[in-house]
Amino acid sequence: MSAIRLQQVSKAWAEVHAVADVSFTAQAGQFVTLLGPSGCGKSTTLRLIAGLETPTSGSVHLFDRDVTHQTPAQRHLSMVFQSYALFPHLDVAQNILFGLKVRGVGAAECALRLQRTAELLGLGALLHRKPAQLSGGQQQRVALGRAIIAETPVCLMDEPLSNLDAQLRQEMRQELRALQRQLGITMVYVTHDQTEAMSMADQVILMHAGRIEQNATPAELYAQPATVFAARFIGTPPMNVVALPEHAPAGVLLGVRPEAIRLASDTGHAAQVLAVEYLGADSLLTCRIGAAQLNARVPGHHANAVGATVRLVWHAEDEHFFDAASGHRLTQPPRQHVEMVR
Amino acid sequence: MTNNARQHIHAWLLLLPAAVLLAAFTHYPAVATIWHSFFSTPKGARAAVWVGLDNYLTLIEDPVFWQVLVNNVWFALGTIPLSIVLAFVMALWVNGKIVGRGFLRMAFFTPTVLPMIAVANIWLFFYTPGYGLLEQFTVGFLGLPSHNWLGSQSTALISLMVVTIWKEAGFFMIFYLAALQAIPPVLAEAAAIEGASRTQYLLRVVIPLLMPTTLFVLVNAVINAFRLVDHIVVMTRGGPDNASALLLYYIYDVGFKFWDSAYAATLTVVLLILLGLAALFQFLVLERRTHYQ
Amino acid sequence: MLTRQLTQWMRHVFTATLISLCAALPNVVQAQATEVSFFYPVAVGGPITKLIDAFAADFEKENPTIKIKPIYSGTYQESIVKALTAMKSGEPPVLSVLLSTDMFTLIDEEAIVDWTSLAKTPEEQQWLKSFYPAFMENSQTGGKTWGIPFQRSTIVMYWNKELFKEAGLDPNKAPANWTEMLNYAKKLTRRDAAGNVTQWGVQIPSSGFPYWLFQGLTTPNNVVLMNKEGNKTYFDHPNVIEALQYWVDLSQKHKVMAPGVIEWGTTPRDFFERKVAIMWTTTGNLTNVKNNAKFDFGVAMLPASKRAGSPTGGGNFYLFKKSTPAQQQAALKFVKWITSPERAAQWGIDTGYVAVRPDAFDTLTMRKYAAGFPPAAVARDQLQYSVAELSTHENQRVTKALNDGLQAALTGTKKPDQAMKDAQREAERILRPYRK
Repeated sequence: MSAIRLQQVSKAWAEVHAVADVSFTAQAGQFVTLLGPSGCGKSTTLRLIAGLETPTSGSVHLFDRDVTHQTPAQRHLSMVFQSYALFPHLDVAQNILFGLKVRGVGAAECALRLQRTAELLGLGALLHRKPAQLSGGQQQRVALGRAIIAETPVCLMDEPLSNLDAQLRQEMRQELRALQRQLGITMVYVTHDQTEAMSMADQVILMHAGRIEQNATPAELYAQPATVFAARFIGTPPMNVVALPEHAPAGVLLGVRPEAIRLASDTGHAAQVLAVEYLGADSLLTCRIGAAQLNARVPGHHANAVGATVRLVWHAEDEHFFDAASGHRLTQPPRQHVEMVR
Repeated sequence: MTNNARQHIHAWLLLLPAAVLLAAFTHYPAVATIWHSFFSTPKGARAAVWVGLDNYLTLIEDPVFWQVLVNNVWFALGTIPLSIVLAFVMALWVNGKIVGRGFLRMAFFTPTVLPMIAVANIWLFFYTPGYGLLEQFTVGFLGLPSHNWLGSQSTALISLMVVTIWKEAGFFMIFYLAALQAIPPVLAEAAAIEGASRTQYLLRVVIPLLMPTTLFVLVNAVINAFRLVDHIVVMTRGGPDNASALLLYYIYDVGFKFWDSAYAATLTVVLLILLGLAALFQFLVLERRTHYQ
Repeated sequence: MLTRQLTQWMRHVFTATLISLCAALPNVVQAQATEVSFFYPVAVGGPITKLIDAFAADFEKENPTIKIKPIYSGTYQESIVKALTAMKSGEPPVLSVLLSTDMFTLIDEEAIVDWTSLAKTPEEQQWLKSFYPAFMENSQTGGKTWGIPFQRSTIVMYWNKELFKEAGLDPNKAPANWTEMLNYAKKLTRRDAAGNVTQWGVQIPSSGFPYWLFQGLTTPNNVVLMNKEGNKTYFDHPNVIEALQYWVDLSQKHKVMAPGVIEWGTTPRDFFERKVAIMWTTTGNLTNVKNNAKFDFGVAMLPASKRAGSPTGGGNFYLFKKSTPAQQQAALKFVKWITSPERAAQWGIDTGYVAVRPDAFDTLTMRKYAAGFPPAAVARDQLQYSVAELSTHENQRVTKALNDGLQAALTGTKKPDQAMKDAQREAERILRPYRK
């Protein structure tokens, strides 16, 4: 059964389309991320699911129920906000129990669930503190607690980890993923951080300018980017997409990931090194072949390479081709390419 | 040690100008008032003499004092809660996304900007029996019999209370509006997701978060209930037969019309005690229940 | 570096001192002239301040050694507060126009000097006798003159001639006595089909200072409210109670006057709006009514009962004690100058106040004016019947006792005799110490 289904949903404010013609399905128990740069419409899409916004056109379905015109409360889902949105005048326990109290859940039931949630999230010692007395990570856990205590089948998260430091963020990624599996809930998770999306999601919906660019598993997104945008968005550093006449005819762009490029001594393209960025395990070389500029991620330290000429090679199976006009992926490698291989 | 001492001296020197002003214009007059209340009123060459509690005995036997005190209590009870509730409702209203809210905000705030004397003059004609705006409605539209609003003992004080509420609500609204706008909208969204209705959000989130504002407004409203007398001067001069006289107005009468400064000081001591008690209640009882962000 | 800053600083100080010295110089020169500061009760600038300024300038031209400094000090009440508090802090004005009824208060505060002991020459003595006796009643006590009448008024009756005509009354004949006024008012009171009054017959305002308008009833009823020494009142005299009964009956029994306390300030407006056919108000409203009434109106003396009569009102010149002999002489000169017949006449014409001396009405300007606008003479004609405005020791406290009683009777919370007995008891309590 699909937990969430969006059908041709659009949202416009005074002629500006924040979300345009978005359709996708999330299965029950799936972890779905909405990924994209800021302003791509991912947060608006999440708010449309939550019911905090009403679509201009299209419909939203939860468990095959049309909820397009229902209030957030009627949709019975939970949400974690980027700013956590904790009620500053209530202590941790009251914040977590807020939803149950307004829905009229009995005191005994409340106490039981609070204990369970606090245990699950390690909040037991903090229950009588006010949000202002908590660290960012602790506040994040309280927001999480408020979301999961409701035991709703769908949980929405709007960049929940973006205010945490790097180390805590990584810990929380694993914890969130584990929690989602353990509770078996359907999660829609908005992020601009591809690492989060790739490491946590079952399914990644990449958005750009209000539209879905690609809807795929993380592996597929990495291996077969559907568009130039997807190719350039995923990977650190992202894929090189260049016009290289020796490999692709006019009107076709070549894509090759920096980590697929190796240095060779006799074969390959002669390239001039423009800059070197040392990353520890490997180095990032910015090179120029003719008019095209490529990044190569190669093992070792190449401090003295700037200005030198190197030779770059890659496997044919690591090559991706895109139509220069539409930006779409070309499934068949262009014929000319074979002839060009030496 | 010396460094520390010097810091203390610096701190005191910096505070000195404010402290001197406070002492000269607040503390000294208050103490002097209490002191003068134990003396007779000096008249011409006759100096003031110690009379002990005589002025206070006069006060206990003064029916006008008791009447203005009761009037003032009713005035406070009638104006404070209503103007605060009204201010809150108006703030909620103009905080919403409605057409013309800029105009509405201005309309609500206008009474505050106008001087009380001007306001009272407008209302004086508003209440005029026969052709006043109020009578045009009650008599002309509702068909009720004509009534002398300011000239009847039963309605004079209430009529003044309405003016006060009208004047004060707009002022308090500004504080509520500022406080409402300081509440992040995401809290409303979070509450909505959690299943709270508008009313529940209002009761469980907005009103508790506005408690510091309410406390501030309440302190001001209580002070104003004992301080605002300009409209009495213009509209009723305390009449008919003291029906609309308030404590401060009576103090002015005694002090600057009767020139009985000792008795005026005695009445002022009563006012000081009343305001002191109100402040004490507000800061000891309500303060504890207030959440400050 | 430091030296240069220091020199610069010294130079600044020197320049500043020089400038302030120069600024002070005119004052030094004029210190030889006698300055007379003068509180005048006007709330805001307007025609009256212009008149006073012009008087001061003209006087200074004729008397270069005297400088008159008018200070516009707000309402009468604000003015006495300012004058007395200024006195208590050591710097009262030399001269002030304050209510004639404040005389006893000012004497009790030992704030003022009497004019009698100051007026030494026979000519000055004569000047003190040149005013209407009615105005002097509030200006003299204990054989001395304490106030010089200036901005004086009295209560008169205004009537709407059109409404008289509609009611079948002679539009040119005002009610002459109480019975007539009641009968006229009955005819002038109109009700709509539902019984609501659309037009009242008569209106005697009762807010703020009802005692003054009440004197417009007690005086014709042949009774005074206080003795000349200002230490005894007669509020419970049968004639006083009878006068109050008549006033109360107008609204409560005959229903020809609006019930409750009637606002003084809106009464002229009620008259302009034709909500009332006859109103009682001050002669000071004459110019206002002349400019704003969109109908033909008449002005008459207050109706008589046992006799004709009305109280006077308004302000007198007072001379403050804390002033130099030179200032007192200068002030005397100025007050004499400004109350001369010609100026008193001009002042009356320009403001609507009553010119304070009979010979002012014999001047050419006044005769011309009165010929063109007969109502201007009504106040004068009434003066022969006029009495002093209620004024006693502890004046405002005593008048408040009476005001409270009057309002209690008019709103129906007390019977007239009870209200007046209570007021008298309160006044007795206040005044007893002044009879020792």
